[in-house]
Amino acid sequence: MTQRASLLQGTLDLLILKALSTGELHGLGVSRRIEQMTGGTFAVQPGSLFPALHRLEESGWLTAEWEASENNRRAKYYKLTKTGKRQLGEATEQWNRVAVAMAKALEA
Amino acid sequence: MAAIIARLASMIRNLTRRSRIEHDLDEELRATVEMLAAENVRTGHTPDAARRAALVELGGIETIKEGVRDVRSGAMLDTLAQDVRYGVRLLRRYPLFAMTAALSLAIGIGANTAVFTIGNSLLRFSPVAVSEPERLVDIGRSFDGLPIGFNPTSYPDYLDIRRRTTTLDHVYAHPLFPKDMTVESEAGTEKAVGDVVTTNYFAALGTRAAIGRLFLPEESDAQGASPLVVLSHRYWVRSFNADPGIVGQTVRLNRYPITVVGVAPEGFQGTTVVAVDLWVPMSMVTFVTGSTPGGLEDRRAGWVVTGARLKPGASIEQARADVAGIDRALRGEYPNQSHPQPFRLLPASPMADKMPLAAAALLLLGAIASTVLVIACANVAGLLLARASGRGREMALRLAVGANRSRLIRQLLTETLLLFAIGAVAGIALARAMTTGLMSLLPALAVPVHLSLALDWRVVALACSLAFVAALLSGLAPALHASRADVSTVLKDEGHGASARLRMRSAFVVAQVSLSLVLVFVGGLFTRALQQASSTNAGFDARGVEVASIDASLGRDGDAAGPSVARELLDRVRHIPGVASASLSRMLPLANEAMGIGLSLPGEVPRPGEPAQTPGSGNIVASGYFATLRIPIRAGRDFTDQDAAGAPLVAIVGEAAARRFWPGEDPIGQQLIVNGGSRPGASIRVVGVAHDARYRALDFGTVPYVYLPLGQHDTSNLSLIVRSADGRSVAASVRATIAGTRAAPQAVSLQSLDDLVAVALTPQRVGAYVAGGLGLVGILLAAIGIYGVTAYTVSRRTREIAIRTALGAQRGTVVGLVLRQAISLTAIGCAIGLVLGAVAGQVLSTLLVGVSPLDPATLVGAVALCVVVVLAGSFVPVSRVLKIAASDALRSE
Repeated sequence: MTQRASLLQGTLDLLILKALSTGELHGLGVSRRIEQMTGGTFAVQPGSLFPALHRLEESGWLTAEWEASENNRRAKYYKLTKTGKRQLGEATEQWNRVAVAMAKALEA
Repeated sequence: MAAIIARLASMIRNLTRRSRIEHDLDEELRATVEMLAAENVRTGHTPDAARRAALVELGGIETIKEGVRDVRSGAMLDTLAQDVRYGVRLLRRYPLFAMTAALSLAIGIGANTAVFTIGNSLLRFSPVAVSEPERLVDIGRSFDGLPIGFNPTSYPDYLDIRRRTTTLDHVYAHPLFPKDMTVESEAGTEKAVGDVVTTNYFAALGTRAAIGRLFLPEESDAQGASPLVVLSHRYWVRSFNADPGIVGQTVRLNRYPITVVGVAPEGFQGTTVVAVDLWVPMSMVTFVTGSTPGGLEDRRAGWVVTGARLKPGASIEQARADVAGIDRALRGEYPNQSHPQPFRLLPASPMADKMPLAAAALLLLGAIASTVLVIACANVAGLLLARASGRGREMALRLAVGANRSRLIRQLLTETLLLFAIGAVAGIALARAMTTGLMSLLPALAVPVHLSLALDWRVVALACSLAFVAALLSGLAPALHASRADVSTVLKDEGHGASARLRMRSAFVVAQVSLSLVLVFVGGLFTRALQQASSTNAGFDARGVEVASIDASLGRDGDAAGPSVARELLDRVRHIPGVASASLSRMLPLANEAMGIGLSLPGEVPRPGEPAQTPGSGNIVASGYFATLRIPIRAGRDFTDQDAAGAPLVAIVGEAAARRFWPGEDPIGQQLIVNGGSRPGASIRVVGVAHDARYRALDFGTVPYVYLPLGQHDTSNLSLIVRSADGRSVAASVRATIAGTRAAPQAVSLQSLDDLVAVALTPQRVGAYVAGGLGLVGILLAAIGIYGVTAYTVSRRTREIAIRTALGAQRGTVVGLVLRQAISLTAIGCAIGLVLGAVAGQVLSTLLVGVSPLDPATLVGAVALCVVVVLAGSFVPVSRVLKIAASDALRSE
């Protein structure tokens, strides 16, 4: 799988939080969900994905638990915490502001 | 030991957390691969190909793991840095707390580090430029049958061991003490300290020359055969400007021409702590030192330490058996000349003859220092608890907003560790000062001693592990306690946690009071022992007495002068104006040396299993000895000049010997067989009984003591004892008089007997200063503890006290209420301290000769001091009680 667009700094965290906002997912699930959400524009490489997941867990935005996967294998499922949800809200807001400003700037 | 366990525990904790994360990560990645593979199988791949494709998609598994590990360890470091920052901020906000705690820790850690530094340099046997020092042994004669130390062997003993041993290589010998010598060279004339060694000495130690060569084992030890000298590196640099051209030149040692053959390696000082300037071969002993104390042929005259290297494969036990066999054989061959004590073989050590003494002294110091550290820990734990009570609200709040308990404990422990890190650094700095202070308590010794007291990694490691263990010990309880804050009660009020906390603090205060009392008590006991042992209480009077070591065996030009030299010298000294009395003796009282002899009664048949002789101690003295030292003669007479070689053999016995051999009888006129002196086995008539003076500073019970007259027993190693008439020093005229006789031209040093006695009392003095001083510090810390507890009680009970006052309670009643707590804590502490002190006194009783381990004066003094200082600590908070007005009741909430 090739990367179709490079990620801006900080974007990956936001995408992960967003991917998890609809419910818990395992690592591969997060990757697939991001691909799906962005219409295939972003494909997160495992080499970036797993460290990011663990970093967000250390920051207290995610919790992880071992559960049975869809086809009855054990998998580590990530879930947003309360602070994670708050962080998603704040980051979304900030991203929107940046996006609008960038769009304006580029149109001018 | 505790330090190691704590370190291991913390390492294991880190490792288990790490390994859990690792294990988790492995599982997660494996599950991901399996899921990817399963997807690929569904899209039509074979299982093998599906798995390969999955691994390709995932990329390098190790790279992923590395990325995750970085994130994880970074996070751990982050929280640590956060904790440290927070801790520093808190310590700066409470500087008084931080200073008190850090200072008490610095004292505790510093004291331990100082003791360890000294012990490290004394006991860790690592002589410079000596190969395999652990294979070296020292051989001496056992010390009066005591379990510790040893006396030197005679030169014939050394030769016999060297000839007969089957387990030892390179058996060498050198005198117990190095000698002062005069060195004349082109650089001028100066005094140097020289050791006399057999020529195989350097080969035995495996030492190589820095320049030139050292002595060769094949060089002869026959008198006069090898006029050679080896210089120490230090001396070579100091006096010869490190000039390599000195090798091959001739210098004059005590006026005897001698050739410099080489320089020893830098730092080399044999196997001793004595810093020697030069070494001459045994063949030069009579020429350059002017003395063969006891001669080279006398089997009973011990003056050399015999050393050797264990043969490859031989154990020290085999060597002991070997040497014991040689001893038995010698006893059979020379029944009339045998020494009463057997050989003793010990691993070589820097202070062969005093090793166990040093170890015991260090053990004592170590015990004192650890007690201080425990006191410091109790003090800090109390302070931390006090602070924890002030922080209950903060903890409860943080728990309420979702902080987890282990995180809080970690933070509190980090703060404590920070405190102890400061304590450790300050402690190491303080240890330098304490080491210097401790060394200055040691009296000036006659020979220069070089101890390496460098701050090596062992010392630093010890200080750090001590700090770490101490931090865990004193930080854990308060941390657990503080983090247990119950959200609902703490936010409302201080609640029940407070009284538990007060109990804990009280326990710490009691611990402090009791341990400080023990230290002060022990310090007091040592002070009393010093008083007791001071010359007036030791059965003799050293004030105004001066002592010179002389050697009467040889005349100025190497002629055998013998006893006449001694008699002539004594006669002249007695006629010096200002000299009240003078005498000569082989031993000095309270010096840590002894002349071992065996005693028995004529016709006495030993019972089976009992030794044929009673081990005793003796001295060879000239007339006037008892008068000069003011030792009372209880019965009979002193020696006179008529007790000479041809006259009937006589002796004066100590009171203990009189009781031992003639209980209830008059000892005067009785016969005693003395195996010692120059007439071994002869029956000697008792002409006097002398009061038993303290012969040794460390007395293990009074031994039977016998004085023999100098006129009937040869000894050349003598002390000239001079009492001045008016207490003023007569050293100058005595020195001039000695120079005018035929006595050997040694550098003669005169010392006051008081100074010499001070050397012997070193353990007691060190004990008195160290235990006493640190005990006082401990008491002050305890006072701070009492202050804290009382102040806390007052602040908690302000409302109650105000109401009582408002209802008309007497001031006295109210004060009593608060004071009762301080008093009961002090009382409990003192009671426990007394019990512990009594135990300590028993343990130390061998060092406390003449003082009861429960000395009432010391007991009362220590308790009074403790009570006064500690209660003074409660004065400020109690006086605050008096200012509480009824209106405060309303405001106190």
